Amino acid sequence: MDWTKFFSVLIDGIQLGSVYALIALGYTMVYGILKLLNFAHGDIYMIGAFIGFGVLTFFGGPLSPDLPLAPLLILMFAIAMIGSGFLGVAVERFAYRPLRNAPRIAPLISALGVAFFLENSALLLFGSQYRQYNGFELIGTGGFYIGSVKITWITVLVVSSAASLMVALILLVSRTKLGKAMRATSFDQEAAAMMGIDVDRVIVATFFIGSALAGAAGVMAGLAYSSIFHFMGFTAGLKGFAAAVVGGIGSIPGAMAGGLLIGLAESFTTGYMNGTWKDAVTFSILVLIMLFRPTGLFGKPEIKKV
Amino acid sequence: MAGERPHPDVPTPRIGADEWVSREQEHREGRGGLTGRALSLIERIPPATWLVVFIAIAAVLPLLMNTGDLNRYGLNVALFALLALGLNVVVGWAGLLDLGYVAFFGIGAYTYALLSSSHCFTETTCGVHWPGWATIPIAIATAALVGFLVGLPSRRLSGDYLAIVTLFFAQLFLTVAAQGDRVSALGLTSGVNLTGGPNGVPDVDPIRIFLIRPTTVEAYYYFTVVALVIVATALWLLIRSRTGRAWTSLREDALAAELMGMPVNSLKLLAFSIGAAIAGLAGAILAAEQTGVFPGNFNLAILITIYAMVILGGAGSMAGVVLGAIVITVVFEVLSPTTSPEKLSLLFYGVILVALLVKIRPWWRLAFVLGGTVVLGYAVRVIAHAVSASSTEGEVVSGGFVGDVVELLVVTPAQPGNWPKYAYIALIVALLALTRLDGWRRTLLIPPTLLLAAFVWETLLVQQPTVTRFILFGALLVAMMTARPQGLLGKLRVEIV
Amino acid sequence: MALFGLRGVSKSFGGLQVLSDLDMEVGEGEIVSVIGPNGAGKTTLFNVITGVYPPDKGDILLDGRSIVGLEPHEITKRGVARTFQTLRLFLNMTVKENVMAAAYGHTRAGVLRTVLRTPGMRREEREIHRLAEECLAFFGERLVGYRFDQPAYSLSYANRRRLEIARATAARPQLLLLDEPAAGMNPVETHEMTELIGRLRAEAGYTILVIEHDMHVVEGISDRVVALDHGVKIAEGTFDEVATDARVIDAYLGSSRADRM
Repeated sequence: MDWTKFFSVLIDGIQLGSVYALIALGYTMVYGILKLLNFAHGDIYMIGAFIGFGVLTFFGGPLSPDLPLAPLLILMFAIAMIGSGFLGVAVERFAYRPLRNAPRIAPLISALGVAFFLENSALLLFGSQYRQYNGFELIGTGGFYIGSVKITWITVLVVSSAASLMVALILLVSRTKLGKAMRATSFDQEAAAMMGIDVDRVIVATFFIGSALAGAAGVMAGLAYSSIFHFMGFTAGLKGFAAAVVGGIGSIPGAMAGGLLIGLAESFTTGYMNGTWKDAVTFSILVLIMLFRPTGLFGKPEIKKV
Repeated sequence: MAGERPHPDVPTPRIGADEWVSREQEHREGRGGLTGRALSLIERIPPATWLVVFIAIAAVLPLLMNTGDLNRYGLNVALFALLALGLNVVVGWAGLLDLGYVAFFGIGAYTYALLSSSHCFTETTCGVHWPGWATIPIAIATAALVGFLVGLPSRRLSGDYLAIVTLFFAQLFLTVAAQGDRVSALGLTSGVNLTGGPNGVPDVDPIRIFLIRPTTVEAYYYFTVVALVIVATALWLLIRSRTGRAWTSLREDALAAELMGMPVNSLKLLAFSIGAAIAGLAGAILAAEQTGVFPGNFNLAILITIYAMVILGGAGSMAGVVLGAIVITVVFEVLSPTTSPEKLSLLFYGVILVALLVKIRPWWRLAFVLGGTVVLGYAVRVIAHAVSASSTEGEVVSGGFVGDVVELLVVTPAQPGNWPKYAYIALIVALLALTRLDGWRRTLLIPPTLLLAAFVWETLLVQQPTVTRFILFGALLVAMMTARPQGLLGKLRVEIV
Repeated sequence: MALFGLRGVSKSFGGLQVLSDLDMEVGEGEIVSVIGPNGAGKTTLFNVITGVYPPDKGDILLDGRSIVGLEPHEITKRGVARTFQTLRLFLNMTVKENVMAAAYGHTRAGVLRTVLRTPGMRREEREIHRLAEECLAFFGERLVGYRFDQPAYSLSYANRRRLEIARATAARPQLLLLDEPAAGMNPVETHEMTELIGRLRAEAGYTILVIEHDMHVVEGISDRVVALDHGVKIAEGTFDEVATDARVIDAYLGSSRADRM
C-alpha cells in the first residue's frame, strides 16, 4: 500500500473537513435554537469568501500585497467574519423573524428564497467568472514534511484557525453567560424567555456567530482551493448540512465530527475512486445515517409528544 | 356572528367561539382596493367554470399569437402549469417539502430522450428509436419509481430533513446528468454514455403515439394542454376522494392522521410518486418538444421557478397554482434577453407607477411621493452634473416620454464603474428599511428609494434580465411567506409535517 | 372474555419508569376510567395502547389478539380509536372532512378507482358522507347543517372536543379511548359530556376507556375506575371504592400522610 498517498489524502480530508465543520456549526447552532434549516447559510459562506477576496484586492491582490502577510490574513478573516455575521443577522431579521410562529414550511421556503436571492445578487455584483485567491502565491507553496508526506502552510493555517475558532466557540458556549443563555434557549425557548433571557438577542447572537464562522470558512476555502464563484455556496452548504446531520443536528461536537467525516469521505473518494462520485458518496452517508441513526452520531433521541 | 347562531338558548362558551370565522370574514370584507375586490370575485367562481374558461382561452390562443410567442407564452405556461400541479400534490396537499422535484422532471426528460433518439450508449448501441406510446409511459413510470425511492427516507424524516435529502438528490441528479457520459461500472471496461454529459442528448424524436404525431409548436401546445386538462381533472377527482382527504389530514397533523387509521408513510410515498410521475410526463413532453435535453433544463433555478408558481398562486389550490404558473412564466419569459430593453424599461416603470397609485393613500401622500421624487431627482442630477459632467451623459435605455423623464431625473453616468453595485446594495437596504417603517418616515423614504431603483435599473438590472428575474423570484418567495403565505388564491394555512 | 387487556405492560423513557408492570382488563360494553395525578402515566398508557410507542415489556390484547408491534394505523383498523388531550384536529379541513378522513381505515377505493370513478368507488364515497353525517348528528345540532362546511379552526373549544370524538367514532372502533374529554369545559358542558359518554355506550355500543380529571364526570360514567400513580396501578374498583382508597388519596395529596403512617 502506498502510505504516502494515503496520508496526503488523509491530510486533504482533514483540511476539507475543517471547512465543512465550520459551515456545519452554523447550521447546527441555528437549528438547535430555532429548529430552522437555514438554506441561506451556504450562501453566507459564499459572501464571506467574496468579502475576504474584496479585502485582498483592496490591499493590492495576492500577487503584490501592500501589507505583510499576517496582518493581511487577519484583516481578511476579521472583515469577512464581521460582514457575514451582519448579513446573517439581517437575513434572520427580515426573512425568518416575521415567520417565527408561522407553520414550519414558511421559513423553509423563505430560506430557499433568501439563498436564491443571495446567489443571484452575487452573480449580478461579481459576475459569473471565477475569482482567484491565489493562496499559493500569497502564502507560498512551502510547508514541512513528516516522512515523505508534505503538509503545506496553507493546510496548517486552515486546520489551525478552524480548530482555534471551534475551541473559542466551545468556550463561549460552555463558559459565558451568552453561551448559557444559548443552551437554555435551545432547550426550551418559552421557558428561557420566562426566566428573563432575551430570546431575540440570543437568536441574533447565534446567527451572528454561526454566519461569522461560515464567513471564515469561506476565506479558508478561497485560500485553500483558490477559486471562488457565486454558486460555490450551494454545494458547500449541502455538504455542511450533511455534516451537521451526520454528527447529530444541534450538537456542536457532532458538527465537528460530521464535518471531518464528510471531508475525509470526499477526499478518499477523490483519491482512490473518482472525484465525480464524491457527491454521491456524501449523499449515501447522509441517507444511511438518516435511516439508521436519524439523531446522528452525537444526537440525543427525541421523544414524540402527543 | 352571535345573531347567526341557530340555538341561542344553548349555552356556548366564549372561548374562541367563532372568533376565527369572524376575523377571517372581516379580513376578507375589509380587504379593500382593486386587488381585494378582484380576489373575492375570483374566489366565487366555481371550479367547473374555471376549467371551461381555461380550455376556451387555451383553444383560441394559437389564433392570437405568432409561433414564437405561442412557444414562449402558450407552451411554456402549459408545461409549467403541469409541473406546478404535480408539485402542488406533494407540497400543497401532502405538505412534504420536496426540493428534488426538478430531478423527476429531468428523469422523465432523460428517459424519453434516451429511448427515443439517435443517442449512442456505446459505439455499437445507437439510436433506440422507440415510439412515444412506449416511452412516455416508461418515462412517467421511471420518474414515479425514483420518486418512490427518494421518498423512502421520508418514512423516518420530518419536513426539514426530507427537504435536505431531496435537495441533495436534485444536486446528485445534476452531477450525474452533467458527468454521466462515461459511466464505467465495476468490471466494465468501456464507458457507457448514459446521459450525454454536459452536451445533453440532442436529436430527440418527436412524440409518436399512433396517429398523434405533433411536429409543430401548435401541435405540441395542444398536446400539452390536453395532458394538462387530463391531469388536472384526475387530480381534482383525487383531492375530493378518500386519498385526498388522507393527504390533507397528514399535512395538517401526521400523528393524528396515523392514529385515525391512515397509513401515513404509504400516503407520503404515494404523494411523492404521483408528483414525480406528473413531473416525468412534463419532462417527456419537454424532451420531445425541444428535440433534446440538457442538464441546464433541470437546475436549481427551474426548481425555484416552480416553487415560486406554487407559492404565489397558493399551495393547495389547483386554480391558484395554475394562475401562479401563468404569472411566473410570463414574468420569466418577459425578463429574457429576447425582450428589447426599451420594452422592459417601459414595463418596469409602468409596474412601479401602478403600484404607487394603488398602494399609496391618501392622495396627498401620493402627491408628496411623486412630487418629492421629481424634485429630489432633479436636484441630485444637477448636483451630480456640477460635480462631474460625465455623470449625466450616459445612455438611457427607454425612449419616448419615459426616456425623457428618466433623463431628467435619474443620474446616468457614462462610465458608472462600481457605482451601480453599491447602489444595488443600498437599494436592498432601503427596501428592507421600508418594510420596517411606517407613517411619514416611510413616505419620506419612498422618493429616494424610487430614484435609487431607477438608477440601478438603468445601469445594472436592465442589462441582465435573466439574473434580475431570479433575484425577483427569490425575493418573491421571502415576501410571499412574510406577507401572504397562503398565496393569491389559497385559503389554507399550509402546515408541513 | 374481556374485549381488551393489558398484561404486564411496562414503558420507560431514559431512566424514568412511566408504566410498570400494568395489568388491566376492559370488558365488552364497559366504561372504565383511568385517574391519577399529573405524571401518573395516563396519556403514556394511551400512547402505548395506540402504538405511538411500543411497550418495553408486556402484551396488549384486543379481542384476544396481540396488537403490540403493529403500526398505529393498523391498531386503529383493528378497532381502537382515540381523542387527544391537546386537541389534534385537522384544523384547515372542514368539520365534515375531519370526520370523513377517519373513515380511511375501513374503506378501500384507491387512486385508479377514484380517477376512473368506478361505481364501487362512488357508492363507497356516498357511504362515507352518510357515515360522517351520522357521526356528527350524534352531537345534536351543534356540528350539523351549516357547520359541515366550516373549517375546524372556526369551532369553539367545546365543539372541537366534540368533533374529536365524532372523528374517532368514524373510524368504527370497538374500543374508544377518550383523553380528558371534559378538560377546559364549563360545568354545563361537562354535564353534557357525561351524558354523551353514557349515550356513546348505550346507543352506539362502544367500549370506552376514559382518562379524566373531573371527578364528577368519573363518578357519572364509570363502571370501574383504575387509579395510577407513577405508572403503577394503585387501586381498582367502583368509583366509591377507589375514591376512598387511602393510597389514591395519598397520591393526590402528596406523600406526607404516608410518611406519618
